Amino acid sequence: MATHTTPRNGHEPEGTAPPVRPTPEAVPGGGLVGTGRARRVRRRGERSRAASIGLHATLLVAALIAVFPPFWLLVTSFKPKADTFTRSLVSNFTLDNYDHVINDTEFLTWFGNSVLIVVITTVIGVFISSTTGYALSRFRFPGMRPLLWTLLITQMFPMAVLIVPLYNLMARYGLLNQPTGLIVTYLTIAVPFCAWMMKGFFDTVPVSIDESGRVDGLTPFGTFWRLIMPLARPGLAVTGFYTFVTAWAEVAYATAFMTGEQNLTLAGGLQTFVNQHTQDWHLMTAAAVLIAVPATLVFGYAQRHLQSGLTAGATKS
Amino acid sequence: MADAVNPRGTAATAAPRDGRPAEAAGAPRARGPRRAPGRLRRKLADYWYAWAMIAPVVLVIAVIIGWPLVRGIYLSLTDADESNVERTIGVNTIPATYDFVGLENYADILRDNTFWDRLGWTVVWTVACVSITFLIGLGLANMLNRNFRGRAAYRMALILPWAIPAFVSVFAWRMLYNERNGILNSLLEGRGIDGIAWLSDPVWAKIAVIATNVWLGVPFMLIAILGALQSIPGEQYEAAEMDGANAWQRFWNITLPGISSVSMTVVLLSTIWTFNMFPVIYLLTRGGPAGSTDILVTEAFRLAFVASPRDFANSAAWGVLILLLLVLFAISYRRALRRQGEVW
Amino acid sequence: MRRSIGTTAVVAALALAATACGSDGDEGGGGADGELSGTVTYWDTSNETEAEVFQAVAEDFEEQHPGVTVDYVNIGFDDAQNRFKNAAGANEAPDVMRTEVAWVADFASLGYLYPLDDTAALDDQDDFLDEAWASTQYDGQTWAVPQVTDTLALFYNQALLDEAGVEPPASLAEVEDATAAFEEAGTTPLYVRGDDPYWFLPFLYGEGGDLVDAEAQQVTVDDAAGVAAFEQMQGLIDSGAAITDTSEGWENMMSSFANGDVAMMINGPWAIADATAALGEDLGVAPVPAGGEAQGSPLGGWNYGVYAGTPDADASFEFVKYMAAAETQTRITEELSLLPTRASVYEDPAVQGNEMVQFFKPAVDVAHERPWIPEAQSLFEPLRVSIEAMLTGSAAPDEAASDTGDAYRDLLEDWS
Repeated sequence: MATHTTPRNGHEPEGTAPPVRPTPEAVPGGGLVGTGRARRVRRRGERSRAASIGLHATLLVAALIAVFPPFWLLVTSFKPKADTFTRSLVSNFTLDNYDHVINDTEFLTWFGNSVLIVVITTVIGVFISSTTGYALSRFRFPGMRPLLWTLLITQMFPMAVLIVPLYNLMARYGLLNQPTGLIVTYLTIAVPFCAWMMKGFFDTVPVSIDESGRVDGLTPFGTFWRLIMPLARPGLAVTGFYTFVTAWAEVAYATAFMTGEQNLTLAGGLQTFVNQHTQDWHLMTAAAVLIAVPATLVFGYAQRHLQSGLTAGATKS
Repeated sequence: MADAVNPRGTAATAAPRDGRPAEAAGAPRARGPRRAPGRLRRKLADYWYAWAMIAPVVLVIAVIIGWPLVRGIYLSLTDADESNVERTIGVNTIPATYDFVGLENYADILRDNTFWDRLGWTVVWTVACVSITFLIGLGLANMLNRNFRGRAAYRMALILPWAIPAFVSVFAWRMLYNERNGILNSLLEGRGIDGIAWLSDPVWAKIAVIATNVWLGVPFMLIAILGALQSIPGEQYEAAEMDGANAWQRFWNITLPGISSVSMTVVLLSTIWTFNMFPVIYLLTRGGPAGSTDILVTEAFRLAFVASPRDFANSAAWGVLILLLLVLFAISYRRALRRQGEVW
Repeated sequence: MRRSIGTTAVVAALALAATACGSDGDEGGGGADGELSGTVTYWDTSNETEAEVFQAVAEDFEEQHPGVTVDYVNIGFDDAQNRFKNAAGANEAPDVMRTEVAWVADFASLGYLYPLDDTAALDDQDDFLDEAWASTQYDGQTWAVPQVTDTLALFYNQALLDEAGVEPPASLAEVEDATAAFEEAGTTPLYVRGDDPYWFLPFLYGEGGDLVDAEAQQVTVDDAAGVAAFEQMQGLIDSGAAITDTSEGWENMMSSFANGDVAMMINGPWAIADATAALGEDLGVAPVPAGGEAQGSPLGGWNYGVYAGTPDADASFEFVKYMAAAETQTRITEELSLLPTRASVYEDPAVQGNEMVQFFKPAVDVAHERPWIPEAQSLFEPLRVSIEAMLTGSAAPDEAASDTGDAYRDLLEDWS
């Protein structure tokens, strides 16, 4: 709670100020350059030329390292099988890998399954982690501390060990080969972290807003839904993104709980190119790019909010 | 968590003491006839909102995590394996025939060197990954927390690894690490340096898995710390500058305290995640060569799935031990934080 | 077993939607031929090239039995054993499972397979090759029906052998002797898989050893012959006669062979397509080189197992009978060059004309049978770890052998 009343200063152009002020308009986009910050930067920012070069050099190297592996995947995906491991950027440019992955596999089915599962997981996940986070942030109730601990401990589970009991559970209730089974499982992976973070995020929203809601005769649900949620957009963006990535990229459960190609998710389906015993790197790379592109798009959309949302969440946990 | 300002508190005090306080806040009436309220009923009335809001999460966790957990703990005290658990095959159900053996599995594991070897490496792996990731994240975040041309582009590039599904990235790294054909070695050889047996040499394999995990983990750290940095009021720096503090003093006295709260949380989370980072190890080296990169989780997985009949009791015992270690860590971590005055 | 199914990816383009479209009559009346009905779910583990053929073959069963729907599902070979076990324990298993030869005893011992003696699934059982048949037996009963058989052989690059002036070697000693000649030609003689213990078996059998002696209930991997096998493998690497990796073995073996970095590799029929694509006419195949004692390569292959809990047992038996029938096997061999398991199929002119079959058949005839015990598959993991330890220098060959032996004695309780 220490920084609860501290005004925040996240005024970089792309970033978003956490909504400490109860004005929803101030939340998205930002775009305002804080004067205090600008002044500070100018004053501190009297860097020598050498320091500036050093800064750029370091960042450039770091950025190259960050980008290279995905970039190399992309490059490789346009090479034919025989040239997979060549060093040149372009060698015998071909789209055959993509052609094969898209047209000769159940790509569209997998894609559809993934979208269905991921969208439902994300919507439910964001909603229930918000309500939980809000309850943890605003109410003091019996079971609150155990719940906080449970949320933390849940993340400590070695999932590799859980998979057989879960499989049996799913089988018992007929949830194998059903999207429901995967959705519920993904929720348990994503929600504990998200709820924890949303709690932290709601802690940064002044309680005075809740009070004004009550004065207007809103129920706690009404306050939460009409007043608080609109302010929580950065937090929701992180939560949504996290849930999305979790569900989108998950492989182990997807392949264990779903049999038959028509039931698989994208990651589960395309994973068949990249398993331990095949050497189809050319197809794998194309498949990987196809999985990564939607994730990157969602990421590009959410990343403006990630920073403020994640920080607020993490600060207050 | 000031109680005075929370809505529930207000509602409860405003409510008449006859067990139907919820009505005052517009909630549905407590069900049932107007009898003298039991304790439970009063509690229910008081905490109705909170409980309703957490109910879905509690339910999901209880079913999906709680049940396997309870069962896992139970199994770890038995000699259950694949051939003696209850199975339903067609119309026939084969009843369970395993026995309760008490703590025998735990004693066996703790007596075995494998566990201690794996634990040692798991600790090294976790500490190395988390500390390197944190330091890199901190360094980069400090660099990005300035105004200069192109920082948006840098930031985008630096957090890109987060957007790529982890298993895809791991395979990309496997491709780069390939000893004979991988790009890393062909770059080295191009400079006249001998190629490195990235995944085949026990020491290099350890370095390779750590490097990959750091690569995967930096964006999360970076973003969290960057956000924390930006929440430090600029005035503090200005005041410090006027007092003549140099850059290092400013970093030490303002920046670090300013991000400590966020740091504590992300370090805790990332420790937990790294400790259990199954996919990176499994997909990159399968624990090899010769088990040198096996962490506790991959070893537990191997026990559960590779030998036949699959040993459910032992792998459950490993799982429980892993969980215990992490819980102990979390508790002591929290104690340490409290001692430093952090409220958590 | 074939841990690396190699060739191409596991997934093929497979639409399932298998709906029976019976055109010719006689449904609805328990005819004399016993009208079958129901759904047969068949889990196939074959690779991409094979899968198309197997799916077509499986679905053609519907034409013979219009009342039956065949639900063909291709699952990844990687985790097929575990997935079947999960599913079988939860009563969710497919009716028919393509079962690796080393899995049969495992599944049977857990009660997951249907005993097939005296069912319709077994047809003309004397026609099956003895070695293929042996893997279907456990505890005195028949639990599976052979599908295909295979073994390892030496693949060589004729052009490189010519350049070095070397004949296809009959023994590992000859391989080592030829090292200098190959070096002059700028290549290494042999690629040895260091990350997959199945490829270690020819060395073991070559020294007259075996993993275990199932009849005597004895672990033999750490006896003198076993140690000699580890030494043999390490010796090949040390002398420069072979290269190896403890990771990415399949990829590196195939690319080294294709690029001419090595002149020879040991591989199975499943690699023929890829190797031919890479080398064309230069590809030659010979028996696995002998070790100090003998020449031996492991027997592999696949069977059909029927799930013990299948609700459509009759249809499943009939399906297995059809899949293992001589005509079906002939068709599979013609299209995929896989080795049939029926003696009569080898008499078929189409099969006799198949070069690869003609090569591999004699190799299969002398292939070394593995212990068909429930733990057969579990024997590989400790072996893999020991081999990696030896190749990375953290264990001497005799230590590697004794470590493996110790692990086996843990695994096989009461064995000596």
